[in-house]
Amino acid sequence: MTSMQTPLHNITLPASVSDAGVVMREDKFRGHLNLRGNPQDAAFTDAVAQVLGVALPLAPNTSAEQGSTRIYWLCPNEWLLLVAEGTQGQVEADLRAALAHQHIAVTDLSSGQTLVNLSGAKLDELMMKSAVYDCHASNFPVGKVVQTTFAKAGATIYKCEDGSFDLVIRRSFSDYFFLWLKDASKEYGLSVI
Amino acid sequence: MLHIYCPYCEEMREEEEFSYAGEAHIARPLDPESLTDAQWGDYVFFRTNPRGLHHEMWNHAAGCRRYFNVTRDTQTYVIHETYKMGEQPSVTGEKP
Repeated sequence: MTSMQTPLHNITLPASVSDAGVVMREDKFRGHLNLRGNPQDAAFTDAVAQVLGVALPLAPNTSAEQGSTRIYWLCPNEWLLLVAEGTQGQVEADLRAALAHQHIAVTDLSSGQTLVNLSGAKLDELMMKSAVYDCHASNFPVGKVVQTTFAKAGATIYKCEDGSFDLVIRRSFSDYFFLWLKDASKEYGLSVI
Repeated sequence: MLHIYCPYCEEMREEEEFSYAGEAHIARPLDPESLTDAQWGDYVFFRTNPRGLHHEMWNHAAGCRRYFNVTRDTQTYVIHETYKMGEQPSVTGEKP
């Protein structure tokens, strides 16, 4: 069996610092599934809730969480499902079985993107210079999901309960993302765990 | 930079997240075969270029990736309204 590599496999780690202002942790090999369907159709929403154990978030920029499964609202008929490592194939099969004969799409994006957690005392300053979106707590409550840009790369930003941000970034932009992060957090110190 | 309200995300977002997608409300002819070349050329190539109110499409490219309509003043850049696909503008500049 071939070993798996994350999109951030080839990054060059910054010199270690004792009191880093920004901490990056990659949530490696999470299952990423894109789900599309009609939210007005109760047969669709009920079946999805049955499989995932949690109802789809229908309001814009919201999310839902149940155990290791997290659902992001992406647009009125599209969601991103983040599931535990290695379970995406089973979840996809379960969804297809439950949604048979419905007008839906389930796509496995696990190898196309990755989940990165950013935290630290200087996180707000980092987000201020990286994202065009206002990531201040007054505008970005816990559980909110925003698709926007992080520097010049597209990112789906989620606010975690502990105040840190989870970013979904594309595999093809991961090198760029990390080089930007390293540069932007130079003045605060960056630690990768 | 423009601040644009996305009717799908229901939030004001920065212009950087959007891309312009041309004039709105251009209906594809139902029977293209019966059109003259001039009529077909008009549908494919020719657009209005008003000074003032313009109904146009934008794509929330870095966000929800939906297309929607914007009523914008081409002279002042004021955005009067944004509305979803399939809806009609409420600001048309015509006197009631």
